[in-house]
Amino acid sequence: MNKSLNTLFTSLALILFTACTSLQITEESVSNQSVAGVTLSSKSSSAQAVLANAVVYFEYDEFTLTMKSIQALKGVVRLMKENPRMTISLEGHADERGTREYNLALGQRRSESVSDYLIANDIKRVRLYAKSFGEERPLSLGSNNISWSKNRRVEIK
Amino acid sequence: MKKIFLSSLFFLPLFCSSELFLEITKGSEEQFKVAMIPFAEKKVSKTLNNIISNDLNRTGEFALLDESLLLPLQIDDDGEINYKDWKLLGIEYLITGNIVKGNNSIDVNYEIYNIQKSKKIRSSKVFGLPNQLRQLAHYTSDGIYESITGIKGIASTRLLYVSNIKSGNINSRYRLMLADSDGANEQTLLSSSESIISPSWSPDGKKVAYVSFETGLAKVYIQDIASGQRESVLSKNTQISSPSWSPDGKYLSLTLYQDGNAEIYILRLRDRVLTRMTNQFAIDTESSWSPKGNKILFTSGRSGSPQVYELDLRRLNAKAKRISFEGTYNAKASYLPDEEGIIFVHRSTDGLFHIALKYKKENFLRILTEAKMDESPSVAPNGNMVIYGITEGDQSMLAGFSLSGASFKLPASQGEVREPAWSNFLR
Repeated sequence: MNKSLNTLFTSLALILFTACTSLQITEESVSNQSVAGVTLSSKSSSAQAVLANAVVYFEYDEFTLTMKSIQALKGVVRLMKENPRMTISLEGHADERGTREYNLALGQRRSESVSDYLIANDIKRVRLYAKSFGEERPLSLGSNNISWSKNRRVEIK
Repeated sequence: MKKIFLSSLFFLPLFCSSELFLEITKGSEEQFKVAMIPFAEKKVSKTLNNIISNDLNRTGEFALLDESLLLPLQIDDDGEINYKDWKLLGIEYLITGNIVKGNNSIDVNYEIYNIQKSKKIRSSKVFGLPNQLRQLAHYTSDGIYESITGIKGIASTRLLYVSNIKSGNINSRYRLMLADSDGANEQTLLSSSESIISPSWSPDGKKVAYVSFETGLAKVYIQDIASGQRESVLSKNTQISSPSWSPDGKYLSLTLYQDGNAEIYILRLRDRVLTRMTNQFAIDTESSWSPKGNKILFTSGRSGSPQVYELDLRRLNAKAKRISFEGTYNAKASYLPDEEGIIFVHRSTDGLFHIALKYKKENFLRILTEAKMDESPSVAPNGNMVIYGITEGDQSMLAGFSLSGASFKLPASQGEVREPAWSNFLR
């Protein structure tokens, strides 16, 4: 009962959070509920492993969360709840296209999107530190779609 | 022993420099036909003549007569030359000069003749210390450029840029560099293992502001060029970026992220008082002052895509006016000196980035460059030239063009070079 209430709250919060972006994400998060248990089932993994796996990727020029990234973030929510003293930094990144300063701001929007999701899921803002490296720290150095998609990300540390 | 000495010599330049080499790629369509009789003096003359003709060629405004076609110079008792002969060659201007080397000084004297009007239009002297030969040459070419075109020359201005030399796949060395406008005389202002972006000149050319990621968080620093002394502009624990100096040197416009979102502020340097200029859900960044100091341009995502806006600083609570409407990406704009034209980065429909020009009165833009990832344009103080970053193959370097159609490149001997910023007039 408690759990389903919690889930209900989460999806409500998500609806509120995404109200000004797009309907699609709201729907995705609801259909995701059944998947959550699967993602979070591995109890043995250390906090770092959870965070390292929770890299959130974005579309070109976008900072809204996708269904896939929301799934990864559920593990982070669980981890933060299990470890109430844990604080994390959210590092936003952009691909090399576009100007460096606009990409710095875009990376910040991406880390804020992740931060907003976590806050909507009852994680206190003081435990989160959102920042950006823009296009300054690419994961993959090529100038092609594959590299670019790897570089548009938020890393959680 | 000799071997060791040689090899260390060989490696030295690899580690300490990414020297730039000027390459002139194209001249303007309608050039002034100019003849320059090499300034005479042993030793120093060759260097000096080379620098002057490179400076003149780079502007794209001059077709310099080949040295082998030059006529012997005859000056009569009245100081007049054989105008008729030069006219027959189709020459419009003739430049002559000489170099006088003293114990601890060099004088460069030069004369410019308007052949069509059969009269001398300039007689000038530039002097300095023997180690200031390059500056002497730049001053001379600026004088020549101004006499003939009526526009102030920019050979004696300087450039800031960032070089990045990678060793291995991960380690990078970022350097904030200072060089003459032709890429010579390169000096390192800051060396860091973390990225440096957005260098900006103080209007007097004595200080620079830039963004450094040295603490793991973007921060704006001001550095004195002569002393190397530097300080973070604000002690706030928030991301700060995109500095731009006001033309009077009293203010710095900045992007602050203290609410999580990029917003533009103006910092009064005297007492570090901050004034917020934008308040928007969307990204606002890349502010840049108008030459008169009463407006700023900036990039905002408020329409759903990055576009260029203008804010009038003279009116309280003025509403930002959108200036770019073409396509879905227009960013990092700066004014031309008349404040009517703006230069910025534009994404074309094919997804490639180019430098574009738009006059505020016109409802279209002009694309001025043709590589694929052209970025960070910086306008020369005479408004006649733009320097920007290009990527060729996987190498990034600096390139430039004049609004009259000339173009040049400044490839680095090694590493990547980007984020150029053109100084104000320094003479």
